[in-house]
Amino acid sequence: MSNERVVQQGLKQSPLLICLVALLIPGAGHLILKRVVRSLLMGGAVLLMFIIGIALGGHIYGVNNAGTGLLSYVFGFCNVGNGLLYGFSFLSGIGVEDQAVRPTSEYGNVFLMVSGLLNYILAMDAYDIASGRKH
Amino acid sequence: MTHFLVMTLFALLVAIVFGAVGRDTARGRVLYGVKVFIEFVGVGFMLAWLLYWIPN
Repeated sequence: MSNERVVQQGLKQSPLLICLVALLIPGAGHLILKRVVRSLLMGGAVLLMFIIGIALGGHIYGVNNAGTGLLSYVFGFCNVGNGLLYGFSFLSGIGVEDQAVRPTSEYGNVFLMVSGLLNYILAMDAYDIASGRKH
Repeated sequence: MTHFLVMTLFALLVAIVFGAVGRDTARGRVLYGVKVFIEFVGVGFMLAWLLYWIPN
């Protein structure tokens, strides 16, 4: 049995691990579970929402938003759902600055938050499939 | 028009995810996705119409 197969079987037996991978990379959980079409559709939708959000002038919220109000923590939680996209954006400085002067910046913020929330749903769906609750 | 396009795009992308997650059969997924999309756009229009009558 090759190492790759062992790793794949290990992932299949661990819904939590699949959930974590799905959370980090949109659509990856379903891809591991061999739901290729669903993975591409849903992962693509989340990725596209994130890209459109950035293009519209939205910005990601940090996890620590001291001084910017309690609601910022909720927004931060939503944004963190984007997984590695959030990390990449945060580290590269793309979409970090607030661009309130742009008329579409609020749309962008909503796109970024909803893409994170949708990715949470994808991760939970992948968990359900991996644990046998759903097909 | 840009605002409408953005709203439609938003509804489309969310409907794709909801449709794929919400039902078990391929037909059910497509129908549910279409339903969610129509509802998003419909509610958007309704809210826009209601807000139109509220004075500034």
